Amino acid sequence: MSGEIYRKPIMFAIVATVVILIGTIVTMFYPMLTPEMHPKLENLKPYTALQLAGKDIYQREGCNNCHTQTVRPLKTEVMRYGEYSKAGEFTYDRPFLWGSKRTGPDLARIGGKYPDAWHYQHFDNQQAFFPESNMPKYGWLKDTRLNPAEIEAHMKANGFPYTKEETSSLSSKSELDALVAYMQVLGTAVAKKPAQVRAVAEEKNPLAEDAKAYQLGEEIYKQNCEACHGQDGKGGIGPSLQDRTWLGKEGDISDSQIFALIADGTQAGMPPYGAQLDKNRIWSLVSYIRHEQQSK
Amino acid sequence: MSDYQYDHQTVKGFIVSSIFWGVVGIVVGLWISIQLWRPELNIPPFFTYGRLRVVHTNGLAFGLGIGAIFGLSYYIVMRLTKRPLLFPKLARFHLYLFNAAIALAAVSLFMGMNQSLEYAELEWPLDIGVVILWVIFAINVFGTIIKRKEEQMYISLWYIIATVIAVAVLYIVNNLSIPAGLFKSYHLYAGVNSANVEWWYGHNAVGFIFTTPILAMFYYFLPKSTGLPIFSHRLSIIAFWSLVFAYLWTGAHHLVYTPLPDWIQTLGIVFTLFLIAPSWGSVVNGYYTVGSDWSKMQTNYLTKFFIMGITFYGLQTVQGPTQAIRVVSSLIHYTDWVPGHVHMGTMGWVTMTTAASIYYVIPKIYNTEIYSIKVANTHFWLVLIGQLMFSITMWITGIQQGALWKAVNPDGSLKYTFMEGLAKNYPFWQLRTVAGLIFTIGMLFFIYNIYMTMRKGKALAASRA
Amino acid sequence: MTKDFDDTNIADFEAKDTAKKLPLGWLILFWGLIFWGIYYFAMYSPSISGWTQEKAYEESLTK
Repeated sequence: MSGEIYRKPIMFAIVATVVILIGTIVTMFYPMLTPEMHPKLENLKPYTALQLAGKDIYQREGCNNCHTQTVRPLKTEVMRYGEYSKAGEFTYDRPFLWGSKRTGPDLARIGGKYPDAWHYQHFDNQQAFFPESNMPKYGWLKDTRLNPAEIEAHMKANGFPYTKEETSSLSSKSELDALVAYMQVLGTAVAKKPAQVRAVAEEKNPLAEDAKAYQLGEEIYKQNCEACHGQDGKGGIGPSLQDRTWLGKEGDISDSQIFALIADGTQAGMPPYGAQLDKNRIWSLVSYIRHEQQSK
Repeated sequence: MSDYQYDHQTVKGFIVSSIFWGVVGIVVGLWISIQLWRPELNIPPFFTYGRLRVVHTNGLAFGLGIGAIFGLSYYIVMRLTKRPLLFPKLARFHLYLFNAAIALAAVSLFMGMNQSLEYAELEWPLDIGVVILWVIFAINVFGTIIKRKEEQMYISLWYIIATVIAVAVLYIVNNLSIPAGLFKSYHLYAGVNSANVEWWYGHNAVGFIFTTPILAMFYYFLPKSTGLPIFSHRLSIIAFWSLVFAYLWTGAHHLVYTPLPDWIQTLGIVFTLFLIAPSWGSVVNGYYTVGSDWSKMQTNYLTKFFIMGITFYGLQTVQGPTQAIRVVSSLIHYTDWVPGHVHMGTMGWVTMTTAASIYYVIPKIYNTEIYSIKVANTHFWLVLIGQLMFSITMWITGIQQGALWKAVNPDGSLKYTFMEGLAKNYPFWQLRTVAGLIFTIGMLFFIYNIYMTMRKGKALAASRA
Repeated sequence: MTKDFDDTNIADFEAKDTAKKLPLGWLILFWGLIFWGIYYFAMYSPSISGWTQEKAYEESLTK
């Protein structure tokens, strides 16, 4: 701590630089040289031209200001969003888009959670799905066509493989198409855990005769299901719940099978609700669905 | 003396510009705060929340913050080297280029040209402009210091030198990218590595823009305006070196519980906690300095700005490290707690200290007294109340959000949907807008006071001539 | 107005307070944080204590 250094600006600047570089090298430069900073999951694929165009739009619109893309290894977080994020999922993200604020929900596992139609309608009018949503509308993205030459340049910069046919076909796609395509690929390199198989003790709905359960079921239905399955379960983005066709097959299924469908979701775009609704609420929903089925 | 006058015009130019960009940033801030509870106020494509938020952060950090830092640093450097700037014309060019860059930056962000790196959103052509700005600043600062007329370099100069060096390293490394056109580029680093580089930069943007240059102001203007010497030179030395050493290790606390390797996270947390010591070195130094004569709090209107500023710095540097600890992070990360934290630092510490420094400098440049101490006091209380209300509201809603996200039913299922949690934020978000409005009114008093002081100074100069 | 420090010799001005001792409370804070840091780093570094956030997650599931 000799006083000399405070009279020699060049010496001072050199010492300050060295002091600043120590932490920089240990926590930033050194890790960069190690393989643990460059992992890749085996089934992670580079973005297609359409998906990359969607990612560009995601960045342009600043979606990362309100949405994160990383699920933390915390119990309730995994229940809410799905399997926690792995380092090897982000190899093609320049930059990473993990975000730092969840004004809206995390999107790390949004891919495949809803059908495309859900996304198109939701981007256009979120409040139709969630009346209290504060998300800005993005339906206007469908009015702009993609520019193949631009996306080609972007694919090249990233070093992603593409074909001429692939990029030239983009001129018929809208920006909204691209954004939806990007949504649908997010987080899909990690296989969906075969949804937590719920032990359903009862084969029959224990609340079948409970009038209150029907009312609670109706309330839950309006909040969570109506946007896709329509008023009174008459169908919409999702199939009708009034008929006796389930998963495209004729014929009714048991109460406990409906319970499982709600709890675990389907590969066809029905999200799982098992982590969000307790048993009582799911059975109440089953009551409501049965009631709507019978009234038709 | 004429050299000083020319340089002072440049200093004044930076101060006035920074206030202008500050107004833009604050107005956009109010706007986005309302958008959170009234989505109809999103006007696509240019004025949606996603685009406006970066205009808000960039406008205030780079327009208000860095503008004031450039101007006040030039002033401090001249005073402490006892000579005019070595390259006065270059400094004037610096001022024009600064304004051009900020204006272009704002336009580009409205257009959606965005690297999606927090606090490094500007696309690569503007990045080059920003680097040129800092190079010019560095040339002038180092040149003037090397040709100084006072042998000893005072503490404020250390902080300014450290700022220039650190910003150069941080800004260049994090903004390296692969251009894919004039207005689009991709980060040179990918995935986890990209995250690590970005937050090494991001947290040190806080360290070397919102901390070190503001400490340079604090260490210079506090003794200047009170006439009291800094309590301990030795403490200043230890605090300085440990601060600039530790800061660079801490970025990973933004990435706790992400896929970043555990050991980097842990190192980040440890050094973040350690930062309490150097930060409080400056806090203690400030308190003991004024502690030798507390009556200054009443007799000198600027003292309370500096003491309140350093108090919020002290609170900020305890709260920040606390947030880094894993268990706390798991609750409040990604919630509104974090913007609450940031705004205590920016509204409480940075703006308070910068405004007080400007109150000191403008009358000096015009050779007059401040227009009204009463207006300054009103400004003080309004920004204090606005800021406290803002931060406290955000902390409460942040803890609430974190708790709702974690809440479970007796059978283990989640108790609240995301939407149910969101809906509970609305009253707090509305209160936050009110708090922001109070703060803004306080800033208008400040601007009025500065404007009137400048008018008074001009009239005086005219009568003297 | 009295002469300010930058109107006089800065070295003399600084010399006056260099003699002051560092506040004890602050020194305790300084060293305390260093020791705590060593402890925390050892506790949460996979290569030292074996702790990883994945393991901690798995454990939280069984609770």
